[in-house]
Amino acid sequence: MPSTQTPPIAGTAIDPPGVRPAIDDAVIEVVDPKALHARLEALRAEGYTMLLDLGAVDYLERVPRFEVVYHLLKMPVAAATLAQVGTPARLRLRCGLKEGEHLPTVSDLWKSADWAEREVFDLFGILFDGHPDLRRIQMPHDWEGHPLRKDYPLRGPARERSPRPAFGLKSNVQAGTPPTGRTLEALQQQRISAEGPKGHELTGGESE
Amino acid sequence: MSLSATPLTPEIVSHEGNSMVLSMGPQHPSTHGVLQIMLEIEGESVIKAEPEIGYLHTGIEKNMENLFWSHGQTNAERMDYLAPSSNALCYVLGVEQLLGITDRIPERAKHIRVLNVELTRIASHCVWLGTHGIDLGAISVFFYCFDLRENILDLQEAAGGARMHPNYLRVGGVNGDLPEGYLERVDALIAKFPGRLKELRGLLQANPIFQDRTIDVGILSVEEAVAWSVTGPALRGSGVAYDVRKAFPYSGYDQYEFSVPTRTEGDAYARFLVRLDEMEESIKIIAQAREKLHTPGPFAIDDPKIFPPPKETIALSMEALIHHFKIVSEGFRVPPGDVYQAVEGPRGELGYYLVSNGENRPYRVRTRPPSLYNLQALKGMAPGNLIADLVVMIGSLDPVFGEVDR
Repeated sequence: MPSTQTPPIAGTAIDPPGVRPAIDDAVIEVVDPKALHARLEALRAEGYTMLLDLGAVDYLERVPRFEVVYHLLKMPVAAATLAQVGTPARLRLRCGLKEGEHLPTVSDLWKSADWAEREVFDLFGILFDGHPDLRRIQMPHDWEGHPLRKDYPLRGPARERSPRPAFGLKSNVQAGTPPTGRTLEALQQQRISAEGPKGHELTGGESE
Repeated sequence: MSLSATPLTPEIVSHEGNSMVLSMGPQHPSTHGVLQIMLEIEGESVIKAEPEIGYLHTGIEKNMENLFWSHGQTNAERMDYLAPSSNALCYVLGVEQLLGITDRIPERAKHIRVLNVELTRIASHCVWLGTHGIDLGAISVFFYCFDLRENILDLQEAAGGARMHPNYLRVGGVNGDLPEGYLERVDALIAKFPGRLKELRGLLQANPIFQDRTIDVGILSVEEAVAWSVTGPALRGSGVAYDVRKAFPYSGYDQYEFSVPTRTEGDAYARFLVRLDEMEESIKIIAQAREKLHTPGPFAIDDPKIFPPPKETIALSMEALIHHFKIVSEGFRVPPGDVYQAVEGPRGELGYYLVSNGENRPYRVRTRPPSLYNLQALKGMAPGNLIADLVVMIGSLDPVFGEVDR
């Protein structure tokens, strides 16, 4: 029922955040990759002291293709009561990014950007210049590809190279066929030819 | 070689350039899951700690992009598996914002949601307290905590049908009204809770061994906490009274009276006290929600395009049957746009950044997992402390690896 049965519905948006004004209470800003670091530094000086989150979105058909989204929060950097915290302002900074383009790291501004940037690199393949330790964080270290990209198949490339046996051929398959698709006879033949016609020497060539 | 009568202190053992690397985990019992910490140690003291995560990565965000909006929620519940309803609430509120139906959610549904979320907060803190106690050698606390948690899981099962992942909260409301006798069982829990919490406090709070292990251990200053994006009890233990329920009220939290406990010490003991006080506040909220649930009313939005019509009508009305079929077979479409929705989970600010391009599946679901950022602060806290204290720090940050690794 979920999976790929339903065809995509017409009228989809290539640039969803661009087609609709803000719904939530965050201030939204769009910034160029070159101006990103300076803008974030200025915002931090303005009082947006907490980097709530840093994530990326892959808009496959759009130019620029990627978008890295920074969520900031205005937070007092001292012990504060409920009244002093009040309703801190939220800000969402969207940074469009062409394929192959790099971003400057903000881990020098916020220590918490370290893992967040590593995750964006791991799952989207976006590089952050100046990051102290940019390596994979969620996927195994020798993994190929970046799974959250839209052109990365859901089941991964490895599954596509070795598909399961087609169920349409089921009627042609004899009982006892091993899952490799080869027949029992073929396997026995292979074993006989490997062991020689007399069977294994320890069994005296009599029994299996 | 002569043996000295005085015990060796780390200062005596260690000397320059004599450090070694130790891998703690991923099978270590006190790491609360599959966490590996690469430790550079000199004797018993930690020079550098580098947590390695990802052992539980299951690609939940990728999966959600390929599921209907309503199905994605079942995956969301499995991120923070100790507080499934908090995840569900956050996701559901985000989808409702995108749909533009936030104002149309019935009051009763909102209060049922609050009741459920606060119950899971207590259940989640019970697991934290029990395991934190075990880490420090207090075994009996674990049993007291899990007894209390069991009562809450029974309530979850009664409402949603499953103990761990009830999937009770739905886009548009909740899945069915509360069953008969549910509120009486909540009353029984409210009556039982103060005595049980007193016992738990009696076991740990004034316990000199526990105090010895936690006071002045894992100190997180306000500056450090903000720089590491720490939220929730860990941030409040450092003195900042930031609580999403108060700062950005959602699901009718502005109608509830509760306080936000804070401490200024910033050590593991402060975080322990903040969480215990938080459990008391939660039970206050539950008592208030229970009073608000006296009046019957609709438990879900009256919109058959989003919330399926009642099962009884399906056999009688052709339209209801079609609506039900459409929702089951192709879900509902969500207008294009993006939204960031946050709730106060048991571990801190839990956020979902949802992007819709107008289809019946999310285009992108980005989670802001509080555990990930809280755990990262370990890199700042650990250096200079003993390995044994590292166990206390992990326990006091309370990470859940379903959420850290997703």
